[in-house]
Amino acid sequence: MDLFSISDDFWIDLGVTLLKIGFMLAVTVGFFAPILTWVERKQSAIMQDRIGANRADIMGFTALGLFHIMADGLKMFTKEDFIPQGANKFLHTLSPIIALVPAILTFAVVPFGGKYELWGYQVNLVISDLDVGLLFVFAIASLATYGYVVAGWSSNNNWSLLGSMRTASQMVSYEVTMGLTIIGVLMVYGTMQLDEIGAAQENFWRWGVFLQPLGFLMFLTASIAENKRIPFDNPEAESELVAGYFTEYSGLKFGMFFMAEFIEMVTIGAIVTILFFGGWHIPFVETQDIIDTFNFSWLGPSFANLIAMGIHVGVFFAKVCFFIFIQMTIRWTLPRFRYDQIMKLGWKILLPLSLVNVVVTGIVIMALK
Amino acid sequence: MAYYVNRNVKMTWWEQAYIPEILRGMLITTRHFFKNMFGFIPFFLGKKKEREIFTVYYPEETIDYPVAYRGRPVLALNEHNRPNCVACGLCEIACPAYCIDIIPGANSGKQNEVERYPEAFTIDYAVCIFCGFCEEACPEEAIFMSNDCEISMLDRKKMKYDMEQLLVPVSELKDRIEFTRKMYGKWNY
Repeated sequence: MDLFSISDDFWIDLGVTLLKIGFMLAVTVGFFAPILTWVERKQSAIMQDRIGANRADIMGFTALGLFHIMADGLKMFTKEDFIPQGANKFLHTLSPIIALVPAILTFAVVPFGGKYELWGYQVNLVISDLDVGLLFVFAIASLATYGYVVAGWSSNNNWSLLGSMRTASQMVSYEVTMGLTIIGVLMVYGTMQLDEIGAAQENFWRWGVFLQPLGFLMFLTASIAENKRIPFDNPEAESELVAGYFTEYSGLKFGMFFMAEFIEMVTIGAIVTILFFGGWHIPFVETQDIIDTFNFSWLGPSFANLIAMGIHVGVFFAKVCFFIFIQMTIRWTLPRFRYDQIMKLGWKILLPLSLVNVVVTGIVIMALK
Repeated sequence: MAYYVNRNVKMTWWEQAYIPEILRGMLITTRHFFKNMFGFIPFFLGKKKEREIFTVYYPEETIDYPVAYRGRPVLALNEHNRPNCVACGLCEIACPAYCIDIIPGANSGKQNEVERYPEAFTIDYAVCIFCGFCEEACPEEAIFMSNDCEISMLDRKKMKYDMEQLLVPVSELKDRIEFTRKMYGKWNY
């Protein structure tokens, strides 16, 4: 096929898509994943009346301990890549990749802004505008389970195996709740496209948290359980299982598990923001208002759209940061559940509640029609 | 008396609902976070510290230890620039770790006011357990626990301090001397 026969639109599409992918990777892997390691240490320290990491310095300049990120990364690079005796080398190497890739892949369908008209070109701020966006998120996120299970199994270590068993059971239990919770959201907005769900929440009182308050709480709980963070960190319970499924991992493979956890935190923040907290919208400010405000005659409407885009992306990531803060606060506030308590919460409380949520949502929608 | 823990505490309806109690806990941690955020983060940027920080940057910043603190035992050097020690050997006997080694010498008149003086006095800090018995046993107020605890070194042999290294002027030990007089004086030793 001749390259020149392809229309210009294709090249623009390709360029814009590559830009979006680059932006998303830069934000998640390049910014959030490293900075969250620092945030977690520092926030917990300040919360507990300590000072926290601040020793790493360059020429006596510590920058509030931000150089610890570099120090940690460097340490992980230089560590021995240890594979235990009797471990399945192939799977042992593969599992961190299986754990990390879905975490990054989820961002393919996460919209970080609306649709904008820029110089005659329609920009939709989502990498891949899938019709089944929400399903894609859950399908890919559950793939990560394989990474954790395989990691535990291939390590030839009983602690790891126990950790991965717990991961499997916990993920399966909470995925049911998660799936049923989003049904309420789907019923309310009538679409599975994440960018349409986001766009539907332009009005402040149409935000998911007002239409689905119970759904929001259950979704947050289930997604924290999915991410295996405290109070649901049984798979990696330090006091019981050394480090759970990644006991036998060192160096950058351990770093990949770590990164997967932090990126998943961003994913949860993003999904919760889109489903329940109005996506990229500012409360009581509609997109048209922003465009009208910045619509100076000498710059044209495209420039106003560009400014609106910038504001929306900023607002979206501010909301994501807020939910990361909430997750961290939960992590440093609550103690770990016992294993049977996790199962009880998942199957006996959250599952019936999510079913009730679906029924009540249906009745209300019927009544309003 | 047995310590009884009631495991069957009936939780109220409010507590069983989880969410309000979780929110209450999160409120406490968040309050601490913001209090400290504005309390001691500006302090690092050069502003006045509004909130007490309990963490001390140890090597750069130290706190004064209380007088009761038992650091390494030292020998007191009195106002006449002579050790108070009379080489009686009581501390040597009292020492449960046998880390004190004294070689007494007969006094020729210039070393001390009394008949005996220590020709050599060594304390092996690698062996010392910092119990303070030597200080308690000493009848002459010659050996004291100082507040110096930074005695780590790479060579074990260097942990053996001889007389010159051990001597510390009395003026630096004033607080501790007062403290020992108060503490051990009540037993009428």
